[in-house]
Amino acid sequence: MSADPLILQFVDETVDRLGSTKDAVIPILQALQEHYRYLPEPALRRVCERSQITPAQIWGIATFYDQFRHKPVGKHIVHVCHGTACHVTGADRVEESLRRHLGIQAGEDTDPEGQFTIEPVACLGCCTLAPVVKLDQVTKGMVETEHVPTVIREFLEAHAQGMDAGGSTEHPAGEGGEVTGPEIRVGLGSCCMAKGSDRLFDELHSAARLVGVSVNVKRVGCVGMCHRTPLVEIVQPGQASRFYAAVKPNEARQLVLENFRPPSLWRRVARTAARAVDRVLLEQDDSPTTRCVVDMKAGPAQAFLGRQVHIASEHFGHLDPLDLEEYLRHDGFAGLRRCLVEFPADRVIEEITKSGLRGRGGAGFPTGPKWKMVQGTANDTKYVICNGDEGDPGAFMDRMLLESFPFRIIEGLAISALATGATEGIFYIRREYPLAVKRVQAAIDLLVKRGWLGDRLLGTPHPFRVQIKEGAGAFVCGEETALIASIEGRRGMPRLRPPFPAESGLWGRPTLINNVETLACVPWILRKGGEAFAAIGTKLSKGTKVFALAGKVVRGGLIEVPMGTTIREIVDEIGGGVPAGRRLKAVQIGGPSGGCVPARLADTSVDYESLREVGAIMGSGGLVVLDDTDCMVDIARYFLRFTQDQSCGKCTFCRVGTRRMLDLLELICAGKGRPEHLGELEKLAQSVGQGSLCGLGKTAPNPIVTTLRYFRDEYEAHLQGRCPSGKCAALVHYHINDRCTGCTLCAQQCPVDAIPFRAYERHEIRQELCTKCDTCRRVCPYGAVEVR
Amino acid sequence: MIPITIDGREVEIEEGKTILDGARQLGIDIPTLCYLERCGPMTSCLVCVVKLRFNGRTSVVPSCGMKAVAGMVVESETPEVHDLRRSALELLLSDHVGDCLSPCVRICPLGLNIPQMLRQVQLGRPEEAAATVRAALALPAVLGRMCHRPCENGCRRTACDSAAAIREVERFVADTNQSRAEPYLAPRKPATGKRVAVVGAGPTGLAAAYELMRNGHACVVWDRAETPGGSLRREVEAGRLEPAVLEAEIRDLKRMGIEFRSGILVGRDIPMTSLLAEFDAVFLAAGEMTAADGEALGVTMTVAGVKIVRADAFLTSVERVFSAGSAVRPVKQLVKAMAEGQMAAEAIGEFLAGHDPRKAPKPFSSVMGRLEKPELHLFRAGASPEPRVTPKSGGGVGFDPSEAAHESARCLHCDCRAAGDCRLQHYSQVYGAEFGRFPRQRRAFEQHRHPGRVLFEPGKCILCGICVKIASESAEPLGLTFVGRGFEVRVAAPLDETFERGLQVVAAECAEACPTGAIEVAAPTDAFWGCSNHGHGCR
Repeated sequence: MSADPLILQFVDETVDRLGSTKDAVIPILQALQEHYRYLPEPALRRVCERSQITPAQIWGIATFYDQFRHKPVGKHIVHVCHGTACHVTGADRVEESLRRHLGIQAGEDTDPEGQFTIEPVACLGCCTLAPVVKLDQVTKGMVETEHVPTVIREFLEAHAQGMDAGGSTEHPAGEGGEVTGPEIRVGLGSCCMAKGSDRLFDELHSAARLVGVSVNVKRVGCVGMCHRTPLVEIVQPGQASRFYAAVKPNEARQLVLENFRPPSLWRRVARTAARAVDRVLLEQDDSPTTRCVVDMKAGPAQAFLGRQVHIASEHFGHLDPLDLEEYLRHDGFAGLRRCLVEFPADRVIEEITKSGLRGRGGAGFPTGPKWKMVQGTANDTKYVICNGDEGDPGAFMDRMLLESFPFRIIEGLAISALATGATEGIFYIRREYPLAVKRVQAAIDLLVKRGWLGDRLLGTPHPFRVQIKEGAGAFVCGEETALIASIEGRRGMPRLRPPFPAESGLWGRPTLINNVETLACVPWILRKGGEAFAAIGTKLSKGTKVFALAGKVVRGGLIEVPMGTTIREIVDEIGGGVPAGRRLKAVQIGGPSGGCVPARLADTSVDYESLREVGAIMGSGGLVVLDDTDCMVDIARYFLRFTQDQSCGKCTFCRVGTRRMLDLLELICAGKGRPEHLGELEKLAQSVGQGSLCGLGKTAPNPIVTTLRYFRDEYEAHLQGRCPSGKCAALVHYHINDRCTGCTLCAQQCPVDAIPFRAYERHEIRQELCTKCDTCRRVCPYGAVEVR
Repeated sequence: MIPITIDGREVEIEEGKTILDGARQLGIDIPTLCYLERCGPMTSCLVCVVKLRFNGRTSVVPSCGMKAVAGMVVESETPEVHDLRRSALELLLSDHVGDCLSPCVRICPLGLNIPQMLRQVQLGRPEEAAATVRAALALPAVLGRMCHRPCENGCRRTACDSAAAIREVERFVADTNQSRAEPYLAPRKPATGKRVAVVGAGPTGLAAAYELMRNGHACVVWDRAETPGGSLRREVEAGRLEPAVLEAEIRDLKRMGIEFRSGILVGRDIPMTSLLAEFDAVFLAAGEMTAADGEALGVTMTVAGVKIVRADAFLTSVERVFSAGSAVRPVKQLVKAMAEGQMAAEAIGEFLAGHDPRKAPKPFSSVMGRLEKPELHLFRAGASPEPRVTPKSGGGVGFDPSEAAHESARCLHCDCRAAGDCRLQHYSQVYGAEFGRFPRQRRAFEQHRHPGRVLFEPGKCILCGICVKIASESAEPLGLTFVGRGFEVRVAAPLDETFERGLQVVAAECAEACPTGAIEVAAPTDAFWGCSNHGHGCR
């Protein structure tokens, strides 16, 4: 095969730039894919010629990680999120609708013209905006089937105008001292941006300039209240902050005008005129001041924030993620400094142990003893790794923390390094979180520039070097030994422990791996003392836990609550309960490793022990609320589809066992289940849970075990050919009832023309054509479409 | 030395060794598929799991990879652990595409290895074919004429044109053997010193006697008739069976050491008690019996015949007396009558060895079921395309060697090369794994052979990783790798190269190490390769 000389030149340059050792394989493949948008085979062969990477290695890697493509792709890539929240809000329907609209045939991923390639992704981490799709770099939330044509059209229009590149929010942090003047704060986490915060941010900037007011338009991290984003906070010296929720970019100018007095008389006149004109042009008399203003001290906002305690997300909504000076003004690096000048390593570990902090990544292993194990090993090189491979669909806490508080996580990692005697730090971050990668890298660069990372940590003679390794899309890489394999340039396949990474980890050296949220708590503990942390929470679960609250809940968002808060408090008080007219059925906690806690156990306290008792696990903290329209068999099937694909494929129980459990669930959802299948599911779930090699397989049956335990009646209904929630397409039909007025809306919207036009007459659905996409039911203004 | 406890027994293990090593020291056979000493633990098949109690925690771990630590308490041979191992085997089987045994063999009540016989005939090795036949059949020449050949009903070749003429080839093998000066006889195991009286010299009795003799027991066959053969005598008398054929068979059985006491009716001429006094066991296979016959023999009867108190043991109401065939209930088909004798002999053999009498379980086989067209095509590619051969000289004489070879070349060889030498099959048998436990869609059967001698059948690969490892540690320019993730993981050569290109150096080593029949390196004369190498119907 003769390769294009251009290909070879680029490959050679890439290898020269990224290194020719075996561990460079993933970065090299990522660079190649960024360049070619897929991995041309001649390029892979060339890599092998030019480096120590072997064909077997490169091929194994290139086929293991989701990120890598082996075929050319269309001009645009449409990522369809299949996270838990997106699933329960109709991701499958949205994907089907996109495929139909874009003309992508079954079994293909690109349309015949090569315009669009559709790529399902496990989770984009914007769960509160579900269903979510991402068109190239632009994330769109709350995309329903009937929005698909509009979404595509708008995207193409924006693309034609060159406006699809996203906002200009990633400027370096403002240099200089404390700002004492007025501020406009805009939350710029990546899910805020999906709702247009970045464009709003730009508009506010230019509006302030245009109006001529002196105000600092400031980027802050996640504001938590995803259900009200874009959220704007107006800070005026000497006044209480004013908050505006769900502000649209075109309202920026008005917002500035409402809040700030222009300096000159002329401008003041202009301001009054502009407000009048705006009112006419925008054809709305409710200005953002009246429509969007939020009182944080009362009502829903108070309910949302009242129970929360912010430790990992301390100063949320106030800090510019990349403003080092501001971080320092807010006690940043005080914990680390204490470890450098005051506390010896043993004392640091003692504080952590005293705090009762346990791993926030899922299993809840006590952090202090874990550090002690690494400290106790004798080796001249040790590693500390921040595990930012948050792969659970339905969870985005770690993304938010990395995006919003990069300095804090670096501080936590540095403290863990000091305590264990490590000099090398690595951030392992999912590739699906580009903003997190960007911000952590920017924070590292700032610290290196200042001389605080590298050979002299915080200017002291302690070396601590930090680098980022990007994942390439594999849930299993959240498992410690798989994560290490991935960093070493191998397929992310876990191995049997012992030996534990504490003894033999990265490159055979003692390695400490902590989850992002765990590390985020560490600076606080060192600053305030372990006892202060231990004073929060329950007997065995100390401190707080960050949750991504999403699904069928009124106020979704990112929350941090003390351990021991009950599920009911979270769902009803913080989240405002399920939408009106619906009934809470269950809460899915812990993602694919977790379980469904039924509504009747909603008083379960959220702590490691209580959750395990009811069959769920804390997991990394995804909390998806399910209502009476959600089918629990379908939920179990959803997670098993995920795990059988995400299994590394090594051990029999996980590789084949998850698939066989899925097969049984598919039969049951299709109405082909037999009574003995339930017993087989239970038996198999037990074997897979016991026999699997790593945590992924050991916990994979949990969604089945809990739904079988609490919702067996739903399984039994399926055996009789009924899906009580009307979710399982094979078991339901759409019908139009007497309430139909013949408005033809459903007929217009039906994507497969299964509803003939009959103005002013009752419509009918032709069952043989119906794809059960749910569009007619959603668009019908009279509730005339029913599912039976 | 590190002390650990396995199944309540203490064992001292060298430092650095595993639980598996400890179990082997104790003589416990923990099954392993992915473990090879030279490759180290792969911990992928998980068939070697044990239950481990240590440090106050209980867990299930693969014994091959778990280094022993003082104080470990291990459970290995418990129902719970066996259940897990069986589940692991059943999960592997649920994704195992290929038949261990071809349908014809599974159907044959006597378990004749038909495809092996056909390969031997195709390659012109009648002596070897005779040995194959003799390993299963007491009366090959008779069966070669009179069997109702259920095997041919199951033959996959039927889906192409018509079944392979199995019975005709078998007759050819038997007749060819019989035509030798000293026909081949099945070897006998060392004598056990045990003696069995077989009452009845019909098909059931002869099959049992044959099986018992092969296993080293002594046999005396009693029959009321002057000549042995039982119901086969009627076939001779009716002209459906040449007398010489039956005579030759009896001659061979006598040569083997079976003693015949003809013209003696047990129960009348000699009392049952004498037989019981003289022999270790008695097998009643005297054909259909009346109540009076039963009374004379002292066994309880039912309306149909001798009452069996334990079906899997062929045990009558009298201790040490077994019965099968038409003596119990009328059996119409010859091959079935003989199969009953064979199975009863297995149960008697167990009894003589001091075990619970029980017939041998059916040999384990994975089952592919019906083949789709493209799959059939793969099998057909190695077989002669010619239509079924009929003996030119007519039914009276049968095939000549060339005809037999040509007909044998029509076999699709849909059995597995590794059958009998496959650890998955072996442990599935030992653990009583159920092949069809899980409802699932079978993957398509695939076969890679381009065009050399390395053959890879991905459906039989259990992803143990041994070949990947061997290749990575050798001088292979390409080697092998795992491809994909999750349930779809496969072993393949990198960069879409052929499997054979991946294994240019260590193919034979990998084939040898493969725990199943996924990788094979064939000898040039292997009939499995049949004719894609040398032209159809070739030798």
